[in-house]
Amino acid sequence: MAAARLHACLVLQPRARTLRAFSTSVSPATRSPRPSPSTTERTSRYERPLRRKALPPRTEKMAVDQDWPSVYPVAAPFKPSAVPLPVRMGYPVKRGVPMAKEGNLELLKIPNFLHLTPVAIKKHCEALKDFCTEWPAALDSDEKCRKHFPIEIDTAAYVSAGPSIRNPKARVVTLRVKLSSLNLDDHAKKKLIKLVGDRYCKSTDVLTIKTDRCPLKRQNYDYAMYLLTVLYHESWKTEEWEKKKTEADMEEYVWKDSSSEKNILETLLQIKAAEKNLELSKEELLGTKEVEEYRKSVVSLKNEGDNENTLSQYKESVKRLLNLT
Amino acid sequence: MAAPVCCRGLRPLVLSWSRELPCVWRALHTSAVCAKNRAARVRVGKGDKPVTYEQAHAPHHIAHRKGWLSLHTGNLAGEDHAAERTVEDVFFRKFMLGTFPGCLADQLVLKRRANQVEICALVLRQLPAHKFYFLVGYSETLLSHFYKCPVHLHLQTVPSKVVYKYI
Repeated sequence: MAAARLHACLVLQPRARTLRAFSTSVSPATRSPRPSPSTTERTSRYERPLRRKALPPRTEKMAVDQDWPSVYPVAAPFKPSAVPLPVRMGYPVKRGVPMAKEGNLELLKIPNFLHLTPVAIKKHCEALKDFCTEWPAALDSDEKCRKHFPIEIDTAAYVSAGPSIRNPKARVVTLRVKLSSLNLDDHAKKKLIKLVGDRYCKSTDVLTIKTDRCPLKRQNYDYAMYLLTVLYHESWKTEEWEKKKTEADMEEYVWKDSSSEKNILETLLQIKAAEKNLELSKEELLGTKEVEEYRKSVVSLKNEGDNENTLSQYKESVKRLLNLT
Repeated sequence: MAAPVCCRGLRPLVLSWSRELPCVWRALHTSAVCAKNRAARVRVGKGDKPVTYEQAHAPHHIAHRKGWLSLHTGNLAGEDHAAERTVEDVFFRKFMLGTFPGCLADQLVLKRRANQVEICALVLRQLPAHKFYFLVGYSETLLSHFYKCPVHLHLQTVPSKVVYKYI
């Protein structure tokens, strides 16, 4: 069945060509020596002259020192007749070799970088140099860059294969700024840190604001700058209800008016009363060196947590305070 | 297959019967079988069937011995529009199969680079060169207008289908 169809194809083709031979006077297909159009013999023998002989591949005419970027100026699929390398690709049959480059679909499938040889890249760079400007000489270190440009904006653009350039992920804008470069006093800094919450990293002192609620990148950038402005101004203001800040709201341990201060003063007064030494008053006790050291060790213990240094400091200060050394 | 035919034949009878007598009617839902173990595999013959490299390797050899016939970013992790690209690919393949009848030596290789589509085809030397040039221009123009993006067609002619082995 398949053979009959094939034969029918062969039969049809010469008839089609013979019809066109009447309409076109000169055409390369009909110029080759053929029997007259009225021939009734329709065998595959007459197919041969109709097919033009393929020309020899261009690789045979290539000089060794030719200009390769002119053979592959842009990204193009692999052309075995234009690449003078004896490349083979494919899983070999048993006791065979990988397939040759002519008609090799695997070589066509993979992306090739024949257009990006070092010579070609150098030419590209030379051409692009005219459009480049020098880096400003004044910004020669990272600190100077950070000093003059404290706010860093991160945006991402996405390229994909397809007719659409839109990508919803491209609208995300991340703003990073170090709080040390903002003009904040102690209260303003603490208030700002409380306002932003998770967005502040204590170890690096960086505030990160990530916005993606607007549909466009430009809008998200404007919103991020607006947020920074609002945070800055709000943190400088002091509201009525801020006066009600309790010890539980404090960010760090403050020794003054704390229970530790009360306890130690009571203990010392009791000790002095027991020893019948009533000359010292509260202010004088607070001013002594041992109490000062004790205050420092308790503050460091509460703020930095338990480690060998702080614990040993606390131990020493308590021993000295209670005259146990 | 016997089972679906039986069901389809019995169903109207059972329906009419069930309307008269109160009984619970249970039916078997069937669909066409998808034989995944026969997909894209040329069945072994007597040793006289020539197969190309593409036909000789089954789908489980993709990424091991075969590459992908269609390359685009839609199939990467976190990327969109894979389905649209696949539908476009199907149309390209059908279009080329019809435009170059009997000339295609192997499957098409479709590559997408940003906006443009590059169709790489292996063709046999069935037609004279001027006809090939016309068909190339015709396909490129028509497909560019269909898909509103530049479509380039790269042909590579081979004298006959490149045979990998005979099975």
